[in-house]
Amino acid sequence: MDKLAKKLKADAALIEVQVSDELDRRITASLQGVRPEIAVRPAVQRRPPVFWWASSLTGVAAALTLIAIVNFRSQVDDTLAVSPDMSPVAVATAPIIEWKAESAMLTGPLQQELLDLQSDLKKAEEKVKQEIGL
Amino acid sequence: MSNDDDQQLVDAAKAGSADAFADLVRVYRVRLLRFLLTRSTSYADAEDALQDTLIAAYRYLHTYDSRWRFSTWLYRIAIRNAGRIRSQSVVELGDLGDEEGDPMLQCIKASETENLWVSARRVLNDEVFAATWLRYAEDMSINDISIALDRPDSWTKVNLLRARRALDTEMNRKNNGNEAYG
Repeated sequence: MDKLAKKLKADAALIEVQVSDELDRRITASLQGVRPEIAVRPAVQRRPPVFWWASSLTGVAAALTLIAIVNFRSQVDDTLAVSPDMSPVAVATAPIIEWKAESAMLTGPLQQELLDLQSDLKKAEEKVKQEIGL
Repeated sequence: MSNDDDQQLVDAAKAGSADAFADLVRVYRVRLLRFLLTRSTSYADAEDALQDTLIAAYRYLHTYDSRWRFSTWLYRIAIRNAGRIRSQSVVELGDLGDEEGDPMLQCIKASETENLWVSARRVLNDEVFAATWLRYAEDMSINDISIALDRPDSWTKVNLLRARRALDTEMNRKNNGNEAYG
């Protein structure tokens, strides 16, 4: 322990305190009037084994039902999917649209707009410089 | 008293022994009162804080986690109670300049005016003062102080180092002053 630590330890002990009889009585009386709270844990409810079996069987039955429904639906979808004559008919009846498209010439106006904006910005900058006396 | 002794008493108190808790009270009441005096604006406030601390500790003993030291848990409650009581008080610690008002100065003999804790309270803020007290008056570890003050270890380390520097300067200044007059 170094010099400072020793000094602090010694000086702390020089702060003289006493628990008066009155304070002692107050504390004792207060503690007697207090009941420590007890940690309340939620009671664990043990279920009978029959519950476990019943829930397991219900789960298995639900799974089997689901599997059966999915298999039945996939068989129905397979029968509906076989229709070889449909696609040629659809192609033959669909109208052919001739698209006449031109690429838009947008670069010219945009370039002009950019130049205008730059010009406005420059004017505004000069105006500000004049106003502040630069 | 060792941590194992504390733990035995705490276990007994948790099991319903009021006598075991009374033993813990006897072990800690003077130490706690001394600490609370440094954080209170009057002796009566420190006594109230002590009473509230012990009642809260007894009431909520079931929440005490034995991974901590019992003293750490107790001081943590004490710091909260002292802060609560002081916030209700009209006088602030910084306003206490004279011996009439300061309960800590009242408990130091007139011949011990060089008590370093008086300087510590002047140069350190409340929380750093508490950390310094727990370290040097209560021999608590850095980790325990951090838990008691609800601060990270890094905060405790840095502020204890700063407090040491400030108190070293104070101690040297006082020693030099004594030599000059001697």
